[in-house]
Amino acid sequence: MATASISLVREQTERVNPPRALWVPFPLGRPLGDPSDADFQLDVMRAALDMLSSATEPTINDYPVEAPGAGPEAWTCPLNLAVPGDGSLAGQLTAEVGRLKPWAAETRRQRGRTTFGLSGASPDQVDEVAAVLGAIAESGNVTDPPAGDIEWAHDMPLLIRHLAEDLRSYYHEAIAAQPGDTPPNHDALNAWIFGDTVLGEVLVAIGDHLTAAGEANPMATLVRNFVIPEGHYRGIANFEGIQGGYQRAD
Amino acid sequence: MVRLSDLHESEAEHLRARADAMPRLECEQWITPKPLSESTVAIVSTCGMHRRDDPPFTPGAVDYRLMPRGVDWSDIVMSHISANFDRSGLADDPNVAMPLDRLEELAAAGEIGGVSQWHYTFMGAHPAPQMFEQSGTEVGRLLADDGVDVALLVPI
Repeated sequence: MATASISLVREQTERVNPPRALWVPFPLGRPLGDPSDADFQLDVMRAALDMLSSATEPTINDYPVEAPGAGPEAWTCPLNLAVPGDGSLAGQLTAEVGRLKPWAAETRRQRGRTTFGLSGASPDQVDEVAAVLGAIAESGNVTDPPAGDIEWAHDMPLLIRHLAEDLRSYYHEAIAAQPGDTPPNHDALNAWIFGDTVLGEVLVAIGDHLTAAGEANPMATLVRNFVIPEGHYRGIANFEGIQGGYQRAD
Repeated sequence: MVRLSDLHESEAEHLRARADAMPRLECEQWITPKPLSESTVAIVSTCGMHRRDDPPFTPGAVDYRLMPRGVDWSDIVMSHISANFDRSGLADDPNVAMPLDRLEELAAAGEIGGVSQWHYTFMGAHPAPQMFEQSGTEVGRLLADDGVDVALLVPI
């Protein structure tokens, strides 16, 4: 069977030496370049598939066009997220989630879908997920399953990773519906979450608890690296010490 | 753009180290496929997407999930374990990572011969790519049995 591949990290493709690879100058997470730009995506696919007839030996071609619409690197959320909570981190997170609710609902309505729910919570259980994450941040309990009626899809501490991702996707939904020319790019979004939101504060606090638990349970440290993107946890490199691989969680 | 020099230093170093450790393919037999306009095409991706009822990918996973032709995007989630790539694009338009709708358009225009009934997703983020040999071989066999002529491999 013939293959054509898209390459995001040219150095890795050069090493692997596949039959036909199209290197694209796009961010990780966007191998076809621009969401909702079908013409652009089709052009990328044609460039890759055309190599089926043009290549006669292992070949890497470089796609010459930068993806449009990657978003501004500097971005400010137009919403004032300063909310009166009950003083607790969990209370503040719940209040912040509430401020974003109308916008996230609008994005879900426009798209007709959501990716929220990896944790096992249903898409309308955003408040419950926020309450659980806030409680973990305050208690430091990264071992016991959260109390309540939700049938969680993962054991602890891996569940934390998916709770965090559920809320992160919810925050992305909230941003997508807000007025403005272009949503922020990946780096700007992370800078906002970890610099200006209670969610970021909660995730770093959880990161501290996972770090402490990691001394006895290496999975906890791994989960921390899956929760907080590179560069946003107290100057500690995510990948340090992970080169050799790890055991499957199941 | 993913030029390693544009990434966080630690992440760039990690990806370079991964590159050094990757096994190199040696081309034993060059396959010249039939014309694309006569070929059935499937997508194989490492995006970690799957249907909501499928079991999620877990750290170290080497198994795969099925994505049917005509997928209902409202039923699709992504349980990829990494926090180091942009998910906002695919949340807006899953085709930016899994271009199934684009394949249908290419088929309707006669640019490809057909679209596979099944497509496959893996999760990458594994330090030992050779661990995928068994499941990768299985997917190759399944694609061949389904009459697929070309696999478009898409990373995340």
